[in-house]
Amino acid sequence: MSVALVRRPLSIARAYEELQRPESGGVAVFVGTVRPDRTRRGRVVALEYDAHVPMALAALEALERRVVRRYRLTGAVAWHRLGVLPVGTAAVIVGAAAPHRAAALRACAGLIEELKREVPIWKTDRARRARRRRRPTGRPRGRAAGSRRAR
Amino acid sequence: MPGSVRLLLFGPAREAVGRAALDRPLAAEGATLGELVDAVAEEFLALRPVLQASRLAVNGRYASDRRLRLAPGDEIAVHPPYSGG
Repeated sequence: MSVALVRRPLSIARAYEELQRPESGGVAVFVGTVRPDRTRRGRVVALEYDAHVPMALAALEALERRVVRRYRLTGAVAWHRLGVLPVGTAAVIVGAAAPHRAAALRACAGLIEELKREVPIWKTDRARRARRRRRPTGRPRGRAAGSRRAR
Repeated sequence: MPGSVRLLLFGPAREAVGRAALDRPLAAEGATLGELVDAVAEEFLALRPVLQASRLAVNGRYASDRRLRLAPGDEIAVHPPYSGG
């Protein structure tokens, strides 16, 4: 069992290593990454993650204990990265290992859903407006190339 | 010396104030959690709506009783709705 709040990159391979055991017939790993969402301030280029670390670690440990008990897991991980993370970066990895796949899959989904609800971690977006193309001044002569207006 | 308390601000609360922490002196007779929060909301108008949606924690434990009396050195955390993951 392993929980962590870290500023270094998260490793899916290390999460799998942590979970894999001979008795674990099913291992499920979820990776949450930063999306380039559109906001009123422009396109998201990065998210900054912040946590109330002592309370977040305690909440992660409690969540992991509960999920391990509920699904009779053989292993679990709940790792979250903090700091400014560019689009495409892994921000969170949760994983569950169990003798059979159904429990591993359900536990993995439970871990991420409950983490989002219960663990004091926050993200704030860093957005950037796309540069507007300047329109040429003056009237264009004739039809613009690529114009396909039907009449 | 009456001492002071520290307010820890996270996520939208930190954005509203522009700082991650605020130190506030305690009056000689002390203050309650509610009095402290009201004073800070008065000072930072942008924090008001965030505070209304937030949970508070005192020294690492959630606290909902506004009458809770604060002591010097207490850490009061403002937890807006969580958004990890």
